[in-house]
Amino acid sequence: MGGAVMELEGVTVRKTKNLLLDGISLSVSRNEFVGLIGPNGAGKTTLLNVIAGFEPFLGTLRLFGQRVTENRSRASRLRVGYVPQSFPIDPAFPILALEAVLAGLVGRLGLFRSPGRKEKEKAMSLMEMMRVDRLANRPLGQLSGGERQKVSLARAILQQPDILLMDEPTAGLDIAVQKEVLNLIDDIHRRESLTILFVTHDFTMIPSTMRRAVLLDRGAKVFDGDVEIALSGESLSRLFRYPLKTFYHEGRRFVSYG
Amino acid sequence: MVEQLVEALACQPIQRAVVACVLCGAGCSMLSVFVVLMKMPLIGVSMSHAAFAGAVLGMLLNVNPFVSGFVVCLLAAGILGPLSDRSDIAPENVLGIMFSFLMGLAFLGMGILTRTKAGALNLMWGSLLSLSGSDIRILAVITTLLALFVALFFKEIRTVLFSRRLAASSGVPEKTIYYALLLLTGAVVSANLATVGGLLIFALLVQPGATALQLTYNLKHFFLIAAAAGIGACVSGLLLSYLFDIPSGASVVLMTTVTFAAAYAASPKRRASKNRIKETIPCK
Repeated sequence: MGGAVMELEGVTVRKTKNLLLDGISLSVSRNEFVGLIGPNGAGKTTLLNVIAGFEPFLGTLRLFGQRVTENRSRASRLRVGYVPQSFPIDPAFPILALEAVLAGLVGRLGLFRSPGRKEKEKAMSLMEMMRVDRLANRPLGQLSGGERQKVSLARAILQQPDILLMDEPTAGLDIAVQKEVLNLIDDIHRRESLTILFVTHDFTMIPSTMRRAVLLDRGAKVFDGDVEIALSGESLSRLFRYPLKTFYHEGRRFVSYG
Repeated sequence: MVEQLVEALACQPIQRAVVACVLCGAGCSMLSVFVVLMKMPLIGVSMSHAAFAGAVLGMLLNVNPFVSGFVVCLLAAGILGPLSDRSDIAPENVLGIMFSFLMGLAFLGMGILTRTKAGALNLMWGSLLSLSGSDIRILAVITTLLALFVALFFKEIRTVLFSRRLAASSGVPEKTIYYALLLLTGAVVSANLATVGGLLIFALLVQPGATALQLTYNLKHFFLIAAAAGIGACVSGLLLSYLFDIPSGASVVLMTTVTFAAAYAASPKRRASKNRIKETIPCK
């Protein structure tokens, strides 16, 4: 563990008359893996957007002890990586998979400096770790959703962030690819000593290294603690206002209607 | 026909027009890469109409049309940029409203102007053969600035084109790049009112980029192909207009469409994607 790398106090986001986040307070320590879980419209993605610096907000957000707003310095942005849900890209778009990974390094390199051999080797070794190195020279738009998501993970890690934000990174992928991506995320957490915030609403697809879960409902934090307690039938039934039960089979968690 | 062309190229106004075509083709084509890859053709059309409306206003107020066109473009960029960043308003709607408002403003000005200045019509269609030395100098400076911007910030530009949000998250000054781009769009469009005009320039802000999209996955080649397509269409359009005595702006625009159609027909990317679809559909 270690000191808090991220502290939120009374973070509120209001759009027109809708309250998207209602006074969220949260503290996340170095190397923690925290899940943000909740039904649709709970505010999970909005909270991630606030931390990533995409969304204006009221309240206080401190990253590494420094108070930040949505307009933050380059140095502050470099320390927070972001992996979006798989996004559609035009198959004809002129970018190769390797170039998409190297895009993660552009901010760190600064102006007037291009990625050299060392940077390209680092990008290739990350692509190898993600098992997409053979696709390095293929246009990104021609890769499958799972391959694109692995490229996206490699891009975010190449940025060398201290905090990695993931917005449902396994959404829309088939079950085998989902498991493969989750294993890669576990690997990344172990190897890179990263603090990870992971948004999901799929309880069967939780990375095994995630120990803490924050449950959100209608923009408010309703639970913060051990992931097993968060995903108990009682807790989920309350969150989704529907009878649900959790059971385990061969060490895997399943959630079903109660 | 060759003799006719050689004779034409010896005239100073034609030489000026050829230089203007090269500069106009290069400048607009570089912008078309952004317009096509950011899927924002309405930005191009709104900016061209902002320049057009500003130039008409300038003629009404006896101000240099390039200066007034550029100022109105800057104002339009100042409104378009923040509005298209807001998530509660669809950027297409904002641009649609802006485009129609600017067109209304321009035509209102044209209605008043045509009674006093017949030359005002050149702002709509352009007039390659009546360009002055200062028109060419302004065009050269602005096209050079745009080329320098692309060359110096190529890796940042690629990241912004790929995804503005991912660019921001990885510490790229994406807002600065985006606003610089809007500013340069205003400058290029205003400078080209005299060459192809405020209405026809839109074709050059889309079609060279759309042509390159058919032919390459390499962004550097993309810029080069777009520039070659734009310059080729401008120069060939000018020469055809001279040979067949047709309006130059219109023939330039038609040549951009011919170039795009040829690229579409020959597109290796389109054929490859067709083959991929065939491979995934089992044969009966």
